[in-house]
Amino acid sequence: MEIRNNSIQKIARLHWYNFVDPVTKLLLALFLTMLSFDFTNLYFEAGLVLCSLVLLLLSRLTSATINAVSFCLFLIVTMILIQGLFYSKNVHPLFSVMGITFYLEGLLYALTMSARILIIIFAIGFFMNTTTISENAKYLESIGMPYKQVYLLMSVCYILPQIQQNMKKIQFAERARGINPQKTVTQKIRSILPILIPLIIKTFDQSINRSITLQLRGFNSPERTLATPKYCYFKAKFSHYCLSFATILLIGWKLWQIISRFL
Amino acid sequence: MKENGIEHNKGNRFNMWKIHLSVATVTLIPAAVGINYVAKAFAEGLKLPLWLGSLGTYLASMLAGPTAGAISGFINNIIYGLTLSPVSTVYSITSIAIGIVVGVLFNRGWFSSAKRVFVSAILIALTSAIISTPLNVIFWGGQTGIPWGDAIFAGMIGNHINIWIASFTDEFILDIMDKVVVAYIAFFIYKQLPQRMINYFKDNQ
Repeated sequence: MEIRNNSIQKIARLHWYNFVDPVTKLLLALFLTMLSFDFTNLYFEAGLVLCSLVLLLLSRLTSATINAVSFCLFLIVTMILIQGLFYSKNVHPLFSVMGITFYLEGLLYALTMSARILIIIFAIGFFMNTTTISENAKYLESIGMPYKQVYLLMSVCYILPQIQQNMKKIQFAERARGINPQKTVTQKIRSILPILIPLIIKTFDQSINRSITLQLRGFNSPERTLATPKYCYFKAKFSHYCLSFATILLIGWKLWQIISRFL
Repeated sequence: MKENGIEHNKGNRFNMWKIHLSVATVTLIPAAVGINYVAKAFAEGLKLPLWLGSLGTYLASMLAGPTAGAISGFINNIIYGLTLSPVSTVYSITSIAIGIVVGVLFNRGWFSSAKRVFVSAILIALTSAIISTPLNVIFWGGQTGIPWGDAIFAGMIGNHINIWIASFTDEFILDIMDKVVVAYIAFFIYKQLPQRMINYFKDNQ
């Protein structure tokens, strides 16, 4: 199946995930996360990790997701070490290395939490890899999100590279003036200001210009034309209701589990 | 009253709890999020033992009030969560609180002198640690992810100290350093901002 984008005249192939709207993808991530919090059986958690991984692999696996996993991997390893050694409910020794005993309870606890982290990364990764900024913005506006909030979310994604570019220019200029890399922490903190002050003033100046431009172009006008979503989504409202209902049930169930401990 | 270049005149104070977003605030917030992002990347690049990731939130709160700061902090964590670390999204609650506390303290004149900035930074660090601790316990078993902070946590857990106290200590020690440095950087940067810029965001709320 193919669609022609009028603005860039580029033929794009539609995938199955293009029929799932952005809000459904986010609700699905929330639903999977809540499932992992409600049912703490390790086999069930492993199943959820597998489900979310399959979901991700069936869409697209990008370097952003791999970066997110590697970002959390160090924490997961330290969590397994710390909980395996020091978890307060540790009773049954699992193995000993050089006189240091590793306990079963701590390991299971750490593995359960690691599974939750992976579920969140994979489920959000599915959203990240399959939704573009403009698709997300158009859809949110079409379902009634105020355009100012949509603008906020969208503009951040476009302004970030601009600020990074400005910072590189300032850093280059500072280096050209002979400012050398600092060695001690105090020197490093002091070296921040000569770069951050011009960067921040320039960034705020640009946002003042942007604000004046937006006002001149009638950003506050109530007669704005609503953005239309890029794709036709499959049963979007039905998915929203079902997933929201299921998530609310899971939140309620978790709250009940917590309250019942005190009863 | 003008103290150290920062005005704290009752008449000049912004409407602190204004929820309606003006076009000026709408364009300030993405800039603040960008500053947060870049400052964090900058701190990581210099291998500083700090995050600096709330600098933009501080400045947004100082320029346009607690609502703008809270929204900046919230969006910052959402964007960070959607691009780098999905679990960061839940810490948006902490960022909202930081934005609100900075805005309130600034409005009450607690950013008018170097001494007062220090007291404000302690209050901000305390708020941040109180809100982050339950999140650390729920998602990371109490750890913060900073190796030397986690070493303190592991030491306390090893000595059978309650996980909540150990996690709070770990978080507070890291937060106090970060928030004090960010508060002073924000204070100095605010003093360097042109008055027309400060007035623009104040008048266009």
